[in-house]
Amino acid sequence: MKFKIYRYNPETDAKPYVQEYELDNVEPGTMLLAALLRIKDEQDQTLSFRRSCGEGVCGSDGMNINGFNGLACITSLDSLKQPVEVKPLPGLPVIRDLIIDMDQFYKQYRAVKPYLVVNDPMPEVELTQTPKQRERLDGLYECVLCACCTTSCPSFWWNPDKFLGPAALLQASRFIEDSRDQAFEQRLENLEGPFKLFRCHTIMNCVHVCPKGLNPTKAIGRIKAKMISRSL
Amino acid sequence: MSLYVLEGLRPWVIQRVSAVYIALFILYAAWCFFSADAIAFEAWREWLYYPFNTTVVGIFVIALLFHAWIGMRDVVLDYVHNIMLRIFILSLLVGVLIGSGLWVFRILLLSVVGQ
Repeated sequence: MKFKIYRYNPETDAKPYVQEYELDNVEPGTMLLAALLRIKDEQDQTLSFRRSCGEGVCGSDGMNINGFNGLACITSLDSLKQPVEVKPLPGLPVIRDLIIDMDQFYKQYRAVKPYLVVNDPMPEVELTQTPKQRERLDGLYECVLCACCTTSCPSFWWNPDKFLGPAALLQASRFIEDSRDQAFEQRLENLEGPFKLFRCHTIMNCVHVCPKGLNPTKAIGRIKAKMISRSL
Repeated sequence: MSLYVLEGLRPWVIQRVSAVYIALFILYAAWCFFSADAIAFEAWREWLYYPFNTTVVGIFVIALLFHAWIGMRDVVLDYVHNIMLRIFILSLLVGVLIGSGLWVFRILLLSVVGQ
């Protein structure tokens, strides 16, 4: 099986280049991460990429695979056209090979205060929710912060420092929808302005690539609906 | 109100509401056009003279100006990152849109009241 992999080491390379690799005896059902690990073990130990859990939970092996962002550990080689082109996630600076600098991504994530804000004195028992209130968080809490969505979003490419991006906005929606949170007004207020939320043009690349099957565009729509009902 | 003249939720809502209005107006205008007995300046002027038509055309022009402003402003915000260039383009755009709007209203006014 043939692979074309983006390579760049800023310490030794003047510019990025594509290196070709070939793997024999690839068993059906093999995931891309397993193939990359084999290339690293058997052919080129300098090939660098992030990985951890290997089963789509940690979100650390996000990369651009044949033009689409995804997690290498849950992308089967059977589904990929050859040669498999692997590049780092677009829109963020490359540290080395497939490893990107995610500072900007995390900065936008932190900007939405991704935690419960409770101003009342904490109760002696847990902050409880009804099953219906809990249901509102479905499709929002499952995000693993792999950055596949945000780095596939043209609005984020154009304004990475101002537009929060789909991942951060999905998190914003997750806390806006949470019945236990007491910062509803401030959260909506924080998203006002021309850039933070309203750079989203419903391009929906985020929905297309999310490895967890989430829908950030819908979450952004829910925030807008909340803003409208708040302003009426 | 800021440099971008309307920001956040308001322009987003205006863009959608104006789009719906423009779409409905185009349907109405097309229906009037194709069901008209004669396609001529005098017939158009007569059509425009009806208060209902004067009103819907006037609202259409305003909706179109707002829609164009928000759409073009979005393109500028996405692609133009130099702040001075952005101010220049947005100012130019405001001038062109206001000028176009006044020009259209002049045409409509002269058509309704007669030259």
